Amino acid sequence: MATAVDFVERINQIEGVSGCVLVKDDGTLLGNTLGDTEDYSGLLQVTSGLSADIMNNVGFSYCRYICFNRDNMQNFYVFPIANYLLGIVQQTDCSVARMLDKVYHLVSRVSTGGAGSHS
Amino acid sequence: MIHLIDELKVIPGVIGASIVNSKEGLKAANFPSIFKAERLQVVGKHLLKLYSVGRLNFDDLTDLSLNYDESVVVARELEKGTLVFAICDPSFNQNLLTMSFNLLHEEYKLGNFADSTIPTSPNDVSSAAVEVGEAKVSASLQGLFMEMKGALGKVLGPMAGFVFDEVMDEWLTLGPSEFSRIETLIEQINQEILEPEKVANYRQLITPLLETFQKG
Repeated sequence: MATAVDFVERINQIEGVSGCVLVKDDGTLLGNTLGDTEDYSGLLQVTSGLSADIMNNVGFSYCRYICFNRDNMQNFYVFPIANYLLGIVQQTDCSVARMLDKVYHLVSRVSTGGAGSHS
Repeated sequence: MIHLIDELKVIPGVIGASIVNSKEGLKAANFPSIFKAERLQVVGKHLLKLYSVGRLNFDDLTDLSLNYDESVVVARELEKGTLVFAICDPSFNQNLLTMSFNLLHEEYKLGNFADSTIPTSPNDVSSAAVEVGEAKVSASLQGLFMEMKGALGKVLGPMAGFVFDEVMDEWLTLGPSEFSRIETLIEQINQEILEPEKVANYRQLITPLLETFQKG
């Protein structure tokens, strides 16, 4: 659990991240720097399920992330990470590509087991 | 309806696009044949659900994008229950696609999608009063409805006015009075006409009216 908290802290420190939430795929909250986590937990679970259905239907191999683009530019991202789901709120004025690169880099390390030894 | 999504397909990196409605299913698609219509329909329905869920959390939701290893799926709601989605290479130009979605959305709101499905045929038009709520129906649409009601008179005779008003009232309760829903109204009228020959005759009569309306 300490690793999960560390992971959330590290994600939260990335430039362009306004806040984040990490849950297990059953909705159990593991870490949070956002309010209204219960709503986001539900959104994360449904989003992950539907994106996986689309992936299987079309024949894609892997979902990197899902983005809910908003008028206020505080876009919400969902990263499926094995049995976990990471939700991120983007800051309005940031380099989105750079932020996503850094998040994805960290997510990849967790996915491959690298983060456990680094956190 | 197909011509506007064809404009999306010319954007570098866009593989194809589709419009899907929650009740009517796939309304238009221009994907390569490898993408089967049934699968696209399932994708569309999943995207509609995803959009609905997103809307519950974010009032100002604009687009969805699902980033897979091989492709990116981008979706935009055109109206409640209808969305357009595109499948793109990961290297696609997102700004250009977003701008094209904006243009397409505007066209959709103006009702410029129905023209490709309506056959052409010149015919006379008669006018009669259409008693619909002015607050609900724009002036230009009221003019069209008057002409459609007159055309129905040529097919159904004296009962046409009563039938048209009844159908119109029902149509207004089912959704906004927008030209994009005109085919639903016509379908409802057809159900009242019943006889296939008369249905075809009515279609012939109103086709030039619809075309004229669309041309503005």
